[in-house]
Amino acid sequence: MYRARYLRFSFLILVAFLFVACGGGEQQTGGKSGVDKGTAAKQVEAGAYKPQRVAEPCGNDCPYEGDTVTVTVNTAGKEGPISGPLYEVRNEFEAATGAEMEIVELPFAEHFPKLMTDLTSQTGEYDASIAGAWWLGDLVGGDFIVPYDKYYNDPSFPQWDDQDVLPGPRKLLSYGGNRYMVANDHDGQVMYYRRDLLENPKHQKAFQKEYGYELRPPQTWDEFEDVAEYFNGKDLNGDGKGDSGLTLHLKVGGQGMFHFMSFSAPYVIGPENPNLYWFDPENMDPLIDSPGHVRALEKLVELTDYGPEAMTGWSLGESWDNFLRGEAALTFTWGDLGALAQQEGSQVKGKIGAAPIPGTDEYYNVEDGEWVKTDEINVVGNTTGGSWAGVISKYSDAPEATYYLLALMATKEKSTVYAARGWDGVDPGRYYHFLPPDGTGSMENYRQAGWNEGDAKEYTTAYYDSFNAEQQFPYLRIPATFEYWTALDTNLSEAVTGQASPEEALKKTADEFDSITERLGRDKQLQIYKTSLNLE
Amino acid sequence: MDSAGDNRRSVEYGADPKTAQPKGRTDRVKYLFIGPAVIWVLAFTIFPLLYALYTSFYTYRFGQRLGFVGLDNFVRIFGDVNLLSSLRVTLIFVVGTVATEMILGVGLALLLNREMRGKNVTRGIATLPLFATPVAVGYLAITLYYEQDGPINSLISALGGRDVPWLSDPVWALVAVILVDIWQWTPFVFLVTLSGLQSLSSELYDAARVDGASSLQNLRFLTLPLLAPLLWLILLLRLVEAFRVFDIPVSLTLGGPGRATEVYSLYTYRTAMRFFDHGYAAAQGFLLLVIVMLIVSVIFSRVRGLYEEEG
Repeated sequence: MYRARYLRFSFLILVAFLFVACGGGEQQTGGKSGVDKGTAAKQVEAGAYKPQRVAEPCGNDCPYEGDTVTVTVNTAGKEGPISGPLYEVRNEFEAATGAEMEIVELPFAEHFPKLMTDLTSQTGEYDASIAGAWWLGDLVGGDFIVPYDKYYNDPSFPQWDDQDVLPGPRKLLSYGGNRYMVANDHDGQVMYYRRDLLENPKHQKAFQKEYGYELRPPQTWDEFEDVAEYFNGKDLNGDGKGDSGLTLHLKVGGQGMFHFMSFSAPYVIGPENPNLYWFDPENMDPLIDSPGHVRALEKLVELTDYGPEAMTGWSLGESWDNFLRGEAALTFTWGDLGALAQQEGSQVKGKIGAAPIPGTDEYYNVEDGEWVKTDEINVVGNTTGGSWAGVISKYSDAPEATYYLLALMATKEKSTVYAARGWDGVDPGRYYHFLPPDGTGSMENYRQAGWNEGDAKEYTTAYYDSFNAEQQFPYLRIPATFEYWTALDTNLSEAVTGQASPEEALKKTADEFDSITERLGRDKQLQIYKTSLNLE
Repeated sequence: MDSAGDNRRSVEYGADPKTAQPKGRTDRVKYLFIGPAVIWVLAFTIFPLLYALYTSFYTYRFGQRLGFVGLDNFVRIFGDVNLLSSLRVTLIFVVGTVATEMILGVGLALLLNREMRGKNVTRGIATLPLFATPVAVGYLAITLYYEQDGPINSLISALGGRDVPWLSDPVWALVAVILVDIWQWTPFVFLVTLSGLQSLSSELYDAARVDGASSLQNLRFLTLPLLAPLLWLILLLRLVEAFRVFDIPVSLTLGGPGRATEVYSLYTYRTAMRFFDHGYAAAQGFLLLVIVMLIVSVIFSRVRGLYEEEG
């Protein structure tokens, strides 16, 4: 009797245990940056809003009959970020060209190494990759990909216009004067805030009384800190519990360094110094420990007082989840958050506002070694992130068919729909993605993708202003960019968790930058760095 | 052919002269039997080891050899503060996990090595963590350690305690990683110790009882000395495994916050697979090999000593 009961009990425990151990239960879905995208908002069903057909079937006269185009992309599945549109367009591409298309999904962490292994061994297994913009230093520096300039104006390919892309993200498409990346995703960080809270008269009155100026979307980091401090501890979603002034993702490997890049840009970049943030172009000495960078990190560390204590161990999925649950008043991150806020389960649909990343009223000019006061708020736009877009392998035996595929996905008809949908991970960056008077897009496009009109207007305006800003954050595109960024990421984490002071953390980062540069060859790195900044 | 001679040799081997094989053929058969094992060791142990050694004398990037650097990669090790930090973290991890696992595992085995109701079921459940994939355990632990209303912190709050910053504080993060490893590997120590206990002769204990020995005296003068060789072996296996730990820190903390849980294997993995500095990664691998070999030698000499004492 007892024996039978024990056996049943142990069997149940064993089944439950094996279910968990084998990865049963809810799987984390990969975000477009390889990180889960949070749980509060469910993905809208893929396929509900589709782009129209652009390429007609080729019938008996197929230009690339017999070709096979193999394209690599971050693992995310048939309905996942960035990879989803590839699956969606496959039938259309194959019918229009006669070529076959193979999609190779590679986990985020393995994508770049596998691609590079294929390229350095000259295997040519992959014709194209939906690559991160920071890979360009290695890809172009190593002469592993080919420019597509010769195909760009050829009418036999699907036509798209790179002048449709706003100036900020347009810079990422070319390198050293040649076009390499075919426009697709347009990443950048903006500030998100809770519109309902900032427009609440009760809060406006209380904030005015406490801080002596009106409550508005923060325009400087000092204002951002005030607003975060004001809302921190207040119940922001009506669940009776105190919430946070802000939320960030600062886990090592959780892409926290991107936060710091966007955050620190207005402390270093200014009218007299539009380009120099990473290295001195004379000698490749790191600039990352300049007084401007240090002051920015000090401020970022201060800001962590107004967010959940746990966020120093959060990846972006957890931080987004916190905002989507209505548990934070402010954050700054990528466009995905705006789109996710529209999905079922979000607590903040119709309540979000967005604006470019706040600025400063002075910056440290690394060239002169002086702090410079600015008459107007010093705002710096950014294209921080992956901006995942197609590149063509030098060893592809079907470069034309490959370009055809990438150009097809870059057409206005396709891109318009991609940019409005939340699930596909493609963020807006072209004039026709933005609403009038900024661009030529339509609210109907966003409405069909499930957007709240107020949210869509705020979101597109913020991105337009950021990508169109006169000053842009200088994106790093040199060999071993990821290694430099990993050093920054790890040392930032030490600063925000109190293991090192901001100054120590950035000094250590600079030392590690130097060591990487030395190992890879200072002269070679310097030459590529100059090319990436168009200084040659 | 000298058949008499052949017979003599066969007799020397103790074989029947009528059925014995000529020596040449015996040798060939012998090589046939050991051949696969030798090829296996050469291909999958010796060659990779030599190739890694060769690699460590060069700089590489993306699989391309850039140049010969001699011993530079080994010299770099001693000036690399991040590597030394990862070594320190690994040592803390190894001491914390192995010591606790040995104490808990042996204690649990002693406790359950007796007649009791539900003994088999309890033993079965106690060994379950062993069968879990470490990466899955790491991801499961993220949920358990979740700081805002996660199961563990909720329990602590319900008992009147404060939330513990499991993954956002450098010290607690290392504790969190150590606890997961202890949860997973204590059953191994338990299982092997239990099998050792069950192989001990009951006659010795009967004799001790007749002599009036207490339970504690039994443990001290009988059980532990008899189990000593086995316990040293368990210790050896756990030490080697703990030095190579990778999956749990990767899935749980990615080595953070900062470098608080960046263990040696994770650092080497990043050097090779993230930064593509294969020469330096190979040199790091050799350092770990030397450390582990030293530990193995010390433990083997101790075990040998034990057998010699018995002899």
